Order: sequence, then structure tokens, then C-alpha cells
Amino acid sequence: MNKTIYQNSILSRWFIGIMSNQKAFTGSCIILIFALIAIFLPFFIQSPTDFLGTPLSPPSSEYIFGTNGQGQDVFAQTICGARQTLLIGFSAGILVVIIGALIGGTAGFYGGRTDDILSLLINIFLVMPGLPLMVILASWLPPTPGTLLGVLVLTGWSWNARVIRSQMMTFRNRDFVSAAIVSGESNIRIIIVEIMPRMLSLLASSFIGASIYAIGAQVGLEFLGLGDVSTVTWGTNLYWASNDLALLTESWWTFVPTGLSIAIVSFALTLINFGIDEVSNPRLISERLWRNEIPKDMVSHGITPVFNHHE
Amino acid sequence: MKNFISVCSILALIIFCSCENETGRDKEGLIIYQENQISWVRNFEPLNPVSVCRWPTRGAIYEPLFIYNPIKTDWTPWLATDYKWQENNKRLIFTIRSGVKWSDGKPFSAHDVAYTFNLSKEFPALDTRNHWEYLKSVIAISDTEIEVNFKRIYVPGFESIAGTYIIPKHIWSNLKDPLKFNNPNPVGTGPFTEILRFNSQVWELGKNYNYWQPGKPHVEKLIFPTFSSNEQTTLALLSGNLDWAGAFIPAIDRIYVEKDPEHHHYWFRNTGHSTFLLTNTKDPVLSDVNVRKAISYAIDREQVVRVGMYDYTIPAHVTSLSGPMAKWHSPEIKNKENWTVFNLEKANNLLDNAGFEWNNKEERIKPGGSPLEFDIIVVSGWSDWVRSAQVITQNLKKVGIKAKVRTYDFGAWIARMQQGDFEMAIGWADKGATPYNFFKSMMFSGYVKPIGETADLNWHRFGLEEVDLLIKEFEQTSDEERIKNIISKLQHLFIENAPGIPLFSELSWAEYNSKYFTGFPNEQNPYGPLSPNEQPSFIFTLLNVKKR
Amino acid sequence: MNKSLIYIARRLSFYLIAAFAALTLNFIIPRLMPGDPASIIFARFKGKLNPEAINAMRQSFGLTNDPILIQYWSYLKGIFRGDLGTSIAYFPEPVSEIIGSGLLWTIFLAGLSLVIAFSIGTTLGIFIAWNRTGKLDTFLPPTLAFFGALPYFWLAMVFLYVFGFSMNWFPIGRAFGNQVSPGLNFAFLFSVLYHAILPAFTLIFVSIGGWMLSMRNTMISTLGADYITFANAKGIPSKLIMLRYAARNAILPNLTGFGMALGFVLSGALLTEMIFSYPGQGFLLLQAVQSQDFPLMQGIFMTITFAVLGANWLVDIAILFFDPRTRK
Repeated sequence: MNKTIYQNSILSRWFIGIMSNQKAFTGSCIILIFALIAIFLPFFIQSPTDFLGTPLSPPSSEYIFGTNGQGQDVFAQTICGARQTLLIGFSAGILVVIIGALIGGTAGFYGGRTDDILSLLINIFLVMPGLPLMVILASWLPPTPGTLLGVLVLTGWSWNARVIRSQMMTFRNRDFVSAAIVSGESNIRIIIVEIMPRMLSLLASSFIGASIYAIGAQVGLEFLGLGDVSTVTWGTNLYWASNDLALLTESWWTFVPTGLSIAIVSFALTLINFGIDEVSNPRLISERLWRNEIPKDMVSHGITPVFNHHE
Repeated sequence: MKNFISVCSILALIIFCSCENETGRDKEGLIIYQENQISWVRNFEPLNPVSVCRWPTRGAIYEPLFIYNPIKTDWTPWLATDYKWQENNKRLIFTIRSGVKWSDGKPFSAHDVAYTFNLSKEFPALDTRNHWEYLKSVIAISDTEIEVNFKRIYVPGFESIAGTYIIPKHIWSNLKDPLKFNNPNPVGTGPFTEILRFNSQVWELGKNYNYWQPGKPHVEKLIFPTFSSNEQTTLALLSGNLDWAGAFIPAIDRIYVEKDPEHHHYWFRNTGHSTFLLTNTKDPVLSDVNVRKAISYAIDREQVVRVGMYDYTIPAHVTSLSGPMAKWHSPEIKNKENWTVFNLEKANNLLDNAGFEWNNKEERIKPGGSPLEFDIIVVSGWSDWVRSAQVITQNLKKVGIKAKVRTYDFGAWIARMQQGDFEMAIGWADKGATPYNFFKSMMFSGYVKPIGETADLNWHRFGLEEVDLLIKEFEQTSDEERIKNIISKLQHLFIENAPGIPLFSELSWAEYNSKYFTGFPNEQNPYGPLSPNEQPSFIFTLLNVKKR
Repeated sequence: MNKSLIYIARRLSFYLIAAFAALTLNFIIPRLMPGDPASIIFARFKGKLNPEAINAMRQSFGLTNDPILIQYWSYLKGIFRGDLGTSIAYFPEPVSEIIGSGLLWTIFLAGLSLVIAFSIGTTLGIFIAWNRTGKLDTFLPPTLAFFGALPYFWLAMVFLYVFGFSMNWFPIGRAFGNQVSPGLNFAFLFSVLYHAILPAFTLIFVSIGGWMLSMRNTMISTLGADYITFANAKGIPSKLIMLRYAARNAILPNLTGFGMALGFVLSGALLTEMIFSYPGQGFLLLQAVQSQDFPLMQGIFMTITFAVLGANWLVDIAILFFDPRTRK
């Protein structure tokens, strides 16, 4: 009972701490908006696959983003495309972090033989060239979302595992862990109660980084035509736009909305990561924010005062 | 800062100097796009089925005995001037043209022709047209006469014999291993045989000054830069850096023609054949001819053509023969059922009568209760077919059939087709100078293999005994009346049995830019096909174009 | 000195194991793919091929029905002899020759872009961390991060169209002009540089943000260390502190990143090559996959893996040189 309250308040305190950072907050809002749009809006707009209007007509009052090369509604395609892209992207992110934490955490905590073997595994996957492997696998396996997910996770998990492993090793050697071991706490308890709460920022940051990678790689593969080209996702929207020679027909509306959406989502995720970085290491906060609070003569080049700007 | 400025000035100097080199293209050479490659490999060997020799090795460097002109639908004498059947169609005599020289000056004769055929007898791996399945011997009776003896009567064999590319005996007979030969410095009879330049990015094929047609070709050389994507090809056509191409370009009027209507032209001619929705006739539901016809009635071909093919082509004829092949239409065609028109009522009626009821979810169900659903498999890279398939799935939804498009890369797709591991697919059918090859690939029992075994043709596995008899008859006769009669009967059987569903006419893609060269064939002047993809009839174009 | 050698040897043995694992993976994957090259070619001839011809083809491809282990053994033997087999799509060219040409172009383009992006990005990162006055520090990181978030191929297509086609400032593709002949002459070298500008620019544009940000972050953390304060207090000139002390320490984590990126240079340039028709490894791989050219696929994948491993090993050695702590 005590443990749960203790953990809840850590989690909520951490969350509030992150959200009070301007960058993280902005980024999270943008992601939330996109997520809501992706989940709910498709029910209210017309089907993206119906062949309705004149092909390649520019944005108008009838079709906000115009039509693509087959006369399909680009606005509907952008909205509906968000669903699968974001779903697979974030799922890959979560899976990567879980696998990374399991393998990297185990390696970092237990050390010795276990560490040697797991480190070897991590490093082998780390040096395996991702994109070629993805291309080969994606072209061989049936083009389902599951394949995409599998390929993304397989090529992306090792980076996070390594980062989590080093962090775990740092914590492992700290006093509070030695104290816990001496007082007889089981390893599992130590990991969950003592170490994990301190790794929240790292885990969140890993999740975000992995999601950015997953979204980008997914879109890249689909653009090459290696995904399921008959589904509507951001990547396949760009694939069809390119196939229909969007640039040469000067139909910028067929690829700009999707491209910008991808950029905005990735950028928002990056912002969140910036925010988390700044909270964990307040030195990174841009000088502008604290310049006002410190008398000019105390400012010296490059030296970052550390202070709590709620004072 | 100083470093930064110097770097910038060096960069500017580079750009300036390079600009000088890049403006202007070589106006002596016709720039062509036919092969999609990122880097050229020096291979001009025309016989080996495995090695991909550079286009236009087969046709411009090495020539055949006769060339079929698909526009005029007749055979133009080329390295042979005449042919005649003897001994009740068991012997074929070719008269070989005299006065022809190889590009190295040595004389060409019937002995080269005989050698070419006998080489594939000695090395079966080179027998890409499977000649020796029906040929007994090929002998040069004199310098200008060839005698081809058949094992069994097979009149359609003329097509592939006349189309064989002749190679020089004096080069090939000195080779240690013809299977590993890549012929880097070709010696041929064709209009272009000299390799002027060859690097990984561009190569040039120069004129053969010993060519047997006097005064031809008019062009000095052909230039082949690499083009990796449709975008690159189109950009080059627009900027005048590409004269002749065989590419599929979407919205071509808007992208290409409108920019310079005087010089920018295209001709997507109807080849006369069709693209199909193939149905696996061994599937329990699809084995019913009424189901197949119902599916055909439910397809809105106009929409398929508009959305999938940019309105470039036309809905298919029920016999699958249109355009230049329409001359084969049976006189009784008008009285036959036409199940390629869009008719939802008829489709629904046929399905009702076949016993497929509706459930409450707007789907039809099989007698067992499971919904009526199919997968349509398409090659993922062929986007126009993918789009067409998507339209078809939407059409079929209206008659209660749940269809889904599944894309595979070419290797996986062809494996499935050959093994019969599919329900429906967008695909092609065999072609030839007459509809013989087509109907044989559609309905000949001899080609049918059980599911799981690799079938070369007739992937949809439909066989009819009457067709077998007609095919046998066709192979034995060279009489034009009887040939027409047999083709008519085959058409009637095709219409009755609907072994495959023709969707739209197959087009041949071709564009040209007449800014620097003229003489291309087009709809107003159709002396031959425009597309470089049509082998070897692209020779007609190569021999006719000239610099402005 | 001994310790350093041991360290190098340890790293080398790790890379050898990783290489072996990669080779095995490389062998397995193409064989799991459905369809074999002979059937594809067969389909090309619409079934008119003589059955004997098909077998002869299979023989030339080396697609034997030997047990897997024997195939594996001959595959390994071949690698050590430098014989990567004969390509199927480009038959009868040996794989090593086909890869050779593509490799050079990819290394040139992607390598050049990486070095420039790393240099400029890292330098910017150092300056921004040092001079954290207002505008540049608040404005540049988010902007460059946004550019980095744009899908690469999307940006490449836009640049190609705008700068290459519309404004005609740069060529629209390929590695060198059609008029020049390869060789050590000025015309060719200039042409190569001219054609590389647009693709390299796009690559640099998208990746510069990442290098800048990570350098900025590590630099800032470093600047908070005690010895910096001490150096400042002792009156050592700012520039010296910035470069000799802070930057030199801060750059170490980024060097590791650079090493990894160097290896991935060979694999990541795929989209660039597609869009700019650049004759490198990436596009070759795509074509090999599409034509089920096992030997070529294996060859390319293997070259890339070895390059990645090699680059990482070199960076490990370089870090040994830069960071005395590892010599302990």
C-alpha cells in the first residue's frame, strides 16, 4: 500500500515536473492534438479511398486540400493516414523501450557473464546496417502492418538497450543501491522501486527517440513501395504522390500536407525530448530565460548558473 | 572568416567552370530511354536468356530473318527475302538476302543462319524459344538458302524461327564457353554496331558503315544515359535532354504536351491485346462460369480506365482482341453474349441464381455461411495495376463480394501465379502475331498443371477439350481461310467459358521530343510502332529518324 | 602501451564475432525469400523456355540442391578468397566488380556530406554553447531540429525540382555529365563536384541539426565542470578554454556517433541515390532485391556490414588517441 502511494507520487511528480517545462508542454500538446485527430476525425469525414473528384484539382471549398492523381480527397487521406502511421510509430517506440529496458537493464544490473553475453548481442545488432536489412526484410515478408512493426523493432532496439544499460550500470554502483542490497532487498525490488523511478526521464526520452525513428523509417519504407500500397498511411500517400509525378504536375497539395504533418509530429516529439533534457540537466535551458533574473555583471561566458527559477 | 570566403569562392569557381561544360547536349546523337538502370554493364550477348544484354542489341546490332510490323500486321522481309512451306508443312525454306556484310567487313550468308540455330541445339541453355522441341534439323543448302525440317507439323513455329537473331559464325565458333560470353565488342549486321563510348553512366552506339540498307541509318549514333526513375525520364524529356522514350507517364498532356505542343508528342497505341483479371478456375467458387461472368458484369471498366490508367486506354472487348487485332473478330460476334459491359443487375441475377444469398451486413455468403471474399494479388511496383485493382474491389463491393488487394514484389507474385496459389490477380496473357498464342495460353489443357506444381503458362488452369482439338488443327495448317475459321471458333469458346476476365486494352508506351530529330512514327504517320519497347519493330523508327 | 594493444585486440575480436554473425545472417536471409531467380527469368520468357535451359540456368547461378551446410561452407570459402559470386541480374558480371563502382560513389557522396555536416554542426554547437546570448541559442536549435524532422526524400524531391529543374542551377541527377569521360582530368573532377552539390546539400541540410544539438548538449555539460571554472579563474583566455579544454572533452561522445554514422554512410544513402539517380550502393541494393539477385544482395549487405564494423573499429582506435582515460 505504502509502495503504491510512494510510486504514484513519484510518477506524478515527475510528470508535473516535465510538463512545467515550456518545450515539453508545447510538444505534448501538439502530439495530443494529432492523436485526437487521428482517432476521432476519420469518423466524420468522407472515405479517403473513394474516387470522387477530378484528379489533381487544387484546394477548393469542396476539397480543402484538393484531390490527388486518382481524384481522392487529400484532406481525408492526410487525416486517415495519421492513424496507422502514428499507431505503428508509437507501438514500435514502446516495444523498443520495453525490449531495451529488459535486455539493457539486465545486462547493466547483473554484470559479469550475463553482461558479456547480452552486450555482445546488443553490439551485434547495433552494427547491423538498418536500412538495407529493412529493405531486404520488407520486400520478402508479406506487406502487413505487423511486418513493418517487426522490422522497425528488430533494427531499432539495440540503441536504446545500450543507453539503458550504461545508465543502469551507473546507478548500480551508487550508494543507495549498495545500501538496499545490504539491507536485504531482492534484486527485482531494487530495480523496480529504487532504480526505475530515477530512470523515468531516460525511459521517456528513449520512447520518444524510438518513436521518431520508427515514424521516419516507416515513412521511408512505404515511400519505396515496400509497405502495403493499398492502405492509406502517410508513407503511402507520399508514394502515390511521387508515382503521379506530383512535382511535375505542380500539384504541391498532394504531398505538402502529409510531409508537413510528419515534420510537425517529429518536431513536436523532438521538443518534448528537449524539455526532458532540460529538466534533467537544467544547465541546458536557454540563457534567455534566466538572463533576466541575474544581474548582468554576474554573467560570465559559458558558465551556466544553476538555480531554481521558481524562487 | 577568411577561410570561409576562400571556400565560397572556390565553390563558385567550380560551379562556373562546370556550367560551361554542362550546357548543350550532343546534337549528333539520338538520346534514348528504354532500360531502367542505375549503372551500365557492358554486355551485348543476344542469345543467353539470363544475361541482360543492352537494348538495342536484339534488333539494332543483330537482326532477324523477318520483322513483324504490328501496325500493318504483316511480316517485313529482313535478313531473309522469302519463305515457302513444302512437304505438307513439314519443311520451311528461307531465301537469305545476299549482299549483306557483317560490321567487321566479312560477308554474311545462310551458313551464319544455320550456325545460329544449331548452336542452340548444342547448348540447350541458349534455346530460349524452345525450337528443338519441334525442329529436326536446320541446314544451309547454299549461301542463300536455308532448309528447316520439322519433327512434327507446327506452322506457328514460323513466328519464332523468323524472329531469331542471327549471330556471326566466325566469332561464336571461336569461343570456349558461349554461356559465359558477354560480347563486349559486338559484330553484327544491324544499323548500329560500333561501341563509341562506355562508362557506368552513359554509353554510345555508333552507326554501322557496312549496313546493307544504303543511305541508312541517317543518325550518327545513339546515346544511352542512365535513368533511375520516371521523374528523371520526364524531366529529361521536358528539358530536351531525351529524344525518345518508352515510359509510362501519368497525366501526360498536362505534364508534357502542354509545355511545348509543337515538339512534345506521345503515342500510347493499342497493341490489340488486353490486361486481365485472372481467376483461378480451380477455386471452388470461381470454377463456376456464371460467377466469373457476374464478376465481369460488376466491373465498371470506364471507372477502372479513368482512375487506374488516366483514361489512356479503353475498356476491353469481350474477345480480348481490339485495335489491330480486331480484324480477327468472328463474323458472329454481334450475336454472342457480351459480359464486359457494366451491368449490376445482370451481375446480381447471376450471383442470386448461383445460390449466393445476402446476409444482413451487405455481403453475400456461400452456402456454408462464410462470406464471399477473394484476394486480388498484384505486383507492388506496377502502380497503375494496383490502382485498377482498388477500383475493382470497390465495384465488387456493390454486388456483395468482399475483395481485398494484396501486393507482392515480382518474385513472390510470379511464384504464386505459377503455382496456382492465388484466387484472383491482375495479369497478362500470351501474345503473338495471331491470336493463337493467346487462346492457347487461356484454354489449352496441355498447359494445365495441378495446384502446387509450377505452370509456365495458363496460371488460371483452365482446359477445354474442344480447344485442344482446334489448337492441333491450327498448328497443322497454313491456309488462311482455315486459320480464320479456327480463330473464330476459339473466340466463341472463349466467350462461352470466360476463362479470364479482360479489363482494358493493353497499350504500348512511347513519347518523343522532335526538337532535334524528326521522322518518328505517330498516329498520323503510322509506318511502325513508336515504342522502343516493341522488339524488334523499333528498328523501323531507328532507320527513319534524322537530325533536323 | 600494452594496455592499449590489449584494448585494440579486444575490440577487434568483438568485431570479428559480429562480422561472422552478419555473414551468417547474410547467407540465411536470401534463401528464405520466396521465389528463385530462375523462375523469374523463366517468367520473362513466358514459358517458352526449354526445360533443359532452365536447369542450365540454375547451374550457372550456382543454385544447386546441395545440403545447406555445404552451400554455407562454400559461401564462407568464397568470401575469404574475395570471390563474391556471379550476379544474376547482371549476368555474367562478377559481383565484386558491380559493387566496386557503386561503392566508390556512395562513399564519395555520403562520406563527403557526413564530414561537412559533422564539421559545421559541431563547430556551430561549440559556438552556441559558448556564446549563449539570446537569439542564436533560442532560435537555431529548434529551427535546425525542424529541418531535421522533415522527411528526407520529401525535401530532396523539393530541392531537386526547385533548384535543379525550375531554376536550372544544378543538374537533375547522375554523378557526372554525359560529355565528360571518367579519368583524372579537370573537366571530369569539376563535373563530379558540380553534380554532387545538390544531393550533398540535401543530406547536410537534414543532418546538421543533429550534430549541432548533441555537441551543444555535451559542451554545456562539460562547461559546468570544475576545471573550467578553475581555468577561467586562472585567467586562461576564453578561446583557449573553449577549444582546448571544453571542446576536446565534449567531442568524445560525438566521435563515437560519428564513427557509427560513417559506417551507416554506406547504407543510408539509398533514398538520395534514388531521387538523384546517383549510381551508388543503395539503389543497387534495391534493384538486387527486386530481381532476387541473391549473390548481389549478399555482396552489398556484406560490404556495408564490413564497412560499419571497420569504421567503428577505427573510431575506437581514434578515441584511444583522443581520450587518455581509455588507455588506463
